[in-house]
Amino acid sequence: MESDTWEPKIVAFLCNWCSYAGADLAGTSRIQYPSNMRVVRVPCSGRIDPLFILASLQKGADGVLVSGCHPGECHYLTGNYSARRKFAVLKSLLEYTGLEEGRVQFSWVSASEGARFAKVVEQVTARIKALGPSKKLVKETPGGSIHVAAHPRD
Amino acid sequence: MSQLTREIREAARKLLRAGQVQVVIGFERGSLPMRSRPCFVRCEEDVDRLVWDGFCETDVARYLPKRKEKAAIVAKGCDSRALVELIKENQVVRDQVVIIGVACKGMIDGSRIEAKMGRGSIVEDDETGEKLILKGADSEEVLDRREFLHVRCKACTHPVPALYDLLVGQPGAEAPKDGFSDVEEFGALDQEARWVYLRDEMSKCIRCYACRNACPLCYCPECFVDGSQPQWVGKSTNLADTMVFHLIRAFHLAGRCVGCGACEHACPVGVDIRKLNRKLQKDMKDLFSHEAGLSLEEVCPLATFRADDPGPPMVDP
Amino acid sequence: MPHEDNIIQLPVPARKRIGAVMVVGAGVGGIQAALDAAASGFKVYLVDKRPAIGGKMSQLDKTFPTNDCSMCILSPKFIECATNPNITIITNTKVEGVEGEAGDFDVHLFEEPRYVAEEKCTGCGTCSEYCPVFVPDVYNEGLSKTKCIHVHFPQAVPAKSIVDATRCLFLTRKECQICVPACKNKAIDFHQQPKATTLKVGSLILAPGYEPFDPLTQSQYGYDRFSNIVTSLEFERLISASGPNGGELYRPSDGKVPHKIAWIQCVGSRDESSGCTYCSAVCCMYATKQVILSKEHHPEMEAVVLHNDIRAYGKGFERFYERAKNMAGVRYVWAKAAIVGERAETKNVVLRYRTNGTEVRDEEFDLVVLSVGLHAPEGNRDLAGKLAIQVNQHGFCESPAFSPMETSRAGVFNCGVFHAPMDIPDAVTMASGAASLASQLLWEERGTMVEEKVFPEERDVTGEAPRVGLFVCDCGTNIAKVVDVPRTVEYAKGLPGVVYAAEETFACSVDSVGHIIKTIEKEGLNRVVVAACTPRTHEPVFQNALREAGLNPYLFEFANIREQCSLVHMADKARATQKAKDLLRMAVARATLLSPLYRVSYGVTRSALIIGGGIAGMKAALSLADQGIIVHLIEKGNGLGGLAVKIPVTLEGGDVRRFVEGVIAEVSSNDLIEVMTNAELAEYSGYVGNFTSVVRVGTAGTPREIRHGVTIVATGAEELKPRESYLYGVDDRVKTLLELDEAMEKNADRFKDCNSVVFIQCVGSRDAERPYCSRVCCSHSVKSALKLKELKPEMDVYVIYRDMRTYGLKEDYYKKASDQGVVFIRYEADDKPEIQAVEEDGRAFLRLTATEPILGQRLEIDADMVCVAAASVPPAGNRPLSRLLKVPLNEDGFFMEAHMKLRPVDFATDGIFMCGTAHSPKFIDESIAQAQAAASRAMTVLARKELKAGGPISRVTPAKCSGCGVCRNVCPYQAISAAEDGVSVVNEALCKGCGVCAASCRSGALDLGGVSNNQTWSVIQAL
Repeated sequence: MESDTWEPKIVAFLCNWCSYAGADLAGTSRIQYPSNMRVVRVPCSGRIDPLFILASLQKGADGVLVSGCHPGECHYLTGNYSARRKFAVLKSLLEYTGLEEGRVQFSWVSASEGARFAKVVEQVTARIKALGPSKKLVKETPGGSIHVAAHPRD
Repeated sequence: MSQLTREIREAARKLLRAGQVQVVIGFERGSLPMRSRPCFVRCEEDVDRLVWDGFCETDVARYLPKRKEKAAIVAKGCDSRALVELIKENQVVRDQVVIIGVACKGMIDGSRIEAKMGRGSIVEDDETGEKLILKGADSEEVLDRREFLHVRCKACTHPVPALYDLLVGQPGAEAPKDGFSDVEEFGALDQEARWVYLRDEMSKCIRCYACRNACPLCYCPECFVDGSQPQWVGKSTNLADTMVFHLIRAFHLAGRCVGCGACEHACPVGVDIRKLNRKLQKDMKDLFSHEAGLSLEEVCPLATFRADDPGPPMVDP
Repeated sequence: MPHEDNIIQLPVPARKRIGAVMVVGAGVGGIQAALDAAASGFKVYLVDKRPAIGGKMSQLDKTFPTNDCSMCILSPKFIECATNPNITIITNTKVEGVEGEAGDFDVHLFEEPRYVAEEKCTGCGTCSEYCPVFVPDVYNEGLSKTKCIHVHFPQAVPAKSIVDATRCLFLTRKECQICVPACKNKAIDFHQQPKATTLKVGSLILAPGYEPFDPLTQSQYGYDRFSNIVTSLEFERLISASGPNGGELYRPSDGKVPHKIAWIQCVGSRDESSGCTYCSAVCCMYATKQVILSKEHHPEMEAVVLHNDIRAYGKGFERFYERAKNMAGVRYVWAKAAIVGERAETKNVVLRYRTNGTEVRDEEFDLVVLSVGLHAPEGNRDLAGKLAIQVNQHGFCESPAFSPMETSRAGVFNCGVFHAPMDIPDAVTMASGAASLASQLLWEERGTMVEEKVFPEERDVTGEAPRVGLFVCDCGTNIAKVVDVPRTVEYAKGLPGVVYAAEETFACSVDSVGHIIKTIEKEGLNRVVVAACTPRTHEPVFQNALREAGLNPYLFEFANIREQCSLVHMADKARATQKAKDLLRMAVARATLLSPLYRVSYGVTRSALIIGGGIAGMKAALSLADQGIIVHLIEKGNGLGGLAVKIPVTLEGGDVRRFVEGVIAEVSSNDLIEVMTNAELAEYSGYVGNFTSVVRVGTAGTPREIRHGVTIVATGAEELKPRESYLYGVDDRVKTLLELDEAMEKNADRFKDCNSVVFIQCVGSRDAERPYCSRVCCSHSVKSALKLKELKPEMDVYVIYRDMRTYGLKEDYYKKASDQGVVFIRYEADDKPEIQAVEEDGRAFLRLTATEPILGQRLEIDADMVCVAAASVPPAGNRPLSRLLKVPLNEDGFFMEAHMKLRPVDFATDGIFMCGTAHSPKFIDESIAQAQAAASRAMTVLARKELKAGGPISRVTPAKCSGCGVCRNVCPYQAISAAEDGVSVVNEALCKGCGVCAASCRSGALDLGGVSNNQTWSVIQAL
């Protein structure tokens, strides 16, 4: 897994109205970016409970990206303002505990920023690749980590 | 009997006699030396059970939520700050409580005394002013109590209650400012060193939840750690689970934790629980200029926002 | 929930009217008009000559003054139009003629062929990939290329391909046709012919928009000769993230980043040589926006704006302008620039302009942006001719005084830049207002032409084990050529809960949707997952399929394997396939935990409370009463009319006095309007559709309880009494504009002895205390100056101003005043004129001293009278009212709308609206437009028999709630309150489903339907 072929798995929590739409636009614009990201769509970045992020790390995600509307552009008026405070505090806390800086990353991407979304993915992926596989906070299960999931695979 | 004890009893007697409260929550001598414990006084006859000394460590604010009767509470600086938070969070009704504030001189760390005197050697303790008199089976030693305070008490920034109806004791000299040097020092350690330290600390945790049960602000009807749908955190002592439990518990206390130390005091295995809380206390102050438990008006930072808040570092290609 | 049927039956007119509205022009105005009319119960045909809706706004990068991303806020409206069953979008189509009369029109349409069958095309884009012909991309203003067969722009609605007939090899030369077999859905049809159709509607709303001034028509701009001169609309595309450079700012000549940019203002505006004397009303602000955005792209960039008066007159504009002006490296220079030429080597453009009156300088720029004006499209006159309506000399629509949305033909209304140059919120306001007028005309026919789709009763799936059906789309080849779909389907069959999985060529095609419906029934599916494109556009399609099959629509889950997989990982099929499988596994994990969500209906109290009895409040009341709605109109003062009773005429000559008296008479005699004067709101509770207010009426303050479905705030504004400014309040020769109006009306003779009058602008506006522009004062001063000249032509009249903000068509009056000898003298904010009461030679006068900015000389003017153009200020009552209604005020004390651009009269709280100067200072016409817009928005609530609430919203598990109140604090909609036992309760009618409460609740008591903690957890477990 730590050989040259290792590819990180990254979870992205994207708000429906801006960042998810930005990701869609990257798609319709055929902008290519690394395939490591698995997107979880949420209505608003304000919906993201820190538990979502920690549960992802526990499950073995090598990185987490959280992205919402730019401040002031929230579809729900102020949801991303609430989120921004939470994220600032959470990121600082996680890094204080010695979790690698960069395991959890944040970004603002609007619905028209398809190219920016692709760049964000590239940067985030490169950073997490450089960090190597996540070990801290990963809950080792009897069957191994997520790379051998409980679900059948071919 | 100390002056403070006298004043507390007098206040309690008056309140009970006038029928202003049904119960006074304070401290009484424990069955062991250096262990004063919370007590609930409901009639004048029992008022003399109340004492005040350097061992009234428990944060008694946690006895107020859900209480139907009118209560008076003997509150140290930290207890009163917890009360402020509880009132703001609708767990305590301000009119239902009479706060007998105590200008606190800090609580004594029994373990440090034991370290000096030997465990179990003390049969009796007494305090006069700054003097702490400890009696062994056939010895007596007089110590300066200031040298044996809890670390958190030595650094206490608000020994005088933030909120009270009547105050006993004399506010001392100006309290120290919290420079959070502990947080800065730990933060300056190498990332791996921090991780190893916390990993080792958390590995001690037996998941007994004494910390949560002692915390005046842990009053949720169902803790996130006890839920089943979803079961966010496994219940075993798996390190990842334990870490997540403590991280989220600390996060849930962000902007609310008043630093009373009840969690640490309650922990049977001595986990450095407050390591995380202290970091959050510092961040709350640095990011949002917020200190918990000082004002009934100020909203918890994570329940509000400003348009010009600082955010986390952003990926911004 | 309470329900009062307050509709009163009015006599039914003899003529049959048609409950349908045609909106011509589908820019942001047309879209808003269509959405409002449809929500008010009418069938809507939204017609545009272009291949997609969205108009000019869809090409903008950001919008001033909030710098909101234009497409971000507009594209949700596209989806609303596309999914509204009562809106039919008709593109590529022009109006050829109209017959009939108000209430019953026959509209003849002419549709150009698309050469693509709309019902078959899925917008997958495969045809474009095969097409060998590149054509200039119209959406990108020709700055980039697209294919001859293409979708207009990525977010286009309808998302259908179109063939550029002028360049298609087959259509021009009978060659190629490669796209025909490339389309797996056989959608391309070169046999299509132009089509003429006729539709019957009761009313038309015209919103044909504008064309930017074409600088090619005037050689002085060098636009044809110099490559680094672009128009402002081209610049929008250049900096747009979705533009030709992906959001990087490069100049055309060499693709390098420009470090020094100049904006030349008033290109094709305020310029007789271009034939356009009017002001285009938006260029100052869009240039300011472009300056700020450019600085965001390249902070070190130098920006120079060469301008005439800066017209930052709208809400929030002045602050925006100040922000730009104070940025490092930004210069606003009051100068008319000439284009000298281009440096041969660098292709830099040299501009020449005069500064400080005398100094002429040449300056070189990497890029020059021409701030081109808004012109009436060529087609306006043609359209006007076909519809038999009047346009003015500029080609804009003629409207009767005080009825801005009317045209010269009954039943035909107008909005947006067809009326006059205006910015987006004003266009949106007029659009809603026009919808209100259509609704007032046709209200008895409400609901007669709309269809409500009836779905079979939903099957109860409680207790059933999940039976997930999975449909994986090829999207022609868009997905299938990258993702190994057959293997993905095989993989999916093994996922827990999946009982059926199949591949679909186009999942969204009519055939496939039919297949999905049949499969749900045949296989007894109780959860459906579609792996295809994006839920943002296609979720409604499949949710409807579930409903057709008798399943709750929320038992559906989407896996996005196109936009977020196959299209972005084309080079790595193996990883793309692995990712598709992962996304499917995650989707199935969520799907198995989905539970049905229901929307509950509740009754609507069909009456309105309007606060404020000025023009805005009264006009809103009449619009609603016209549609059978009971209105309770409360006015704080003794009588109706508001500030307008003090204004005799408008700048354009409209008789305000007569108009106001007429409106008051109409309101007073209307049986459906209850007027309460000396009345104030005392208590307020409830939610959209069902509010309860307590009003204290009369001097006794008798409480009166009123139940109403909507609330309209129309509390107006006041003229500042600028005490301590320019001897106002000390010397009675110093008057405000309204006081001067009164003096001229009551005592015109007094002015016969008056030889000199000076107006001083911006008194109490645009200063530290009130950093906003009061919008109306410049025009008001021009009006009063003209009136003085009329009373006594030889009188010396001076206007001392900072920027004359006679925006739009009002510019013509500024020019007229100037032509009539009114002297305009500019002053700087930090060098205000001074005033002194002087007696010399037995004559008493006021002496004004000001610096003449061009030559820098001090001027002395001796005046008999001084008029201070005092600020328009919000009434003190706004603050307590805002607390009662729980709606916000902005930093200047005016009410704050839900969204500055697209929801100008809505509050963020549903069911509460605003109009008139309560929103910000404005003219009477603008207040009327807002009043009718507010009525239109109100009717989107009141037209319904019942409202729906619920669905994917937050819910409380009481046993887990501690009552700590964090949810109440974080909810952006104040939808959460505390029950008597302290436990939180979510008001279903107010909750919008953002989930901020759920993420903030420590004890898991709040959770969000559709994105629950448990569902999200299971998705994470399936990573």
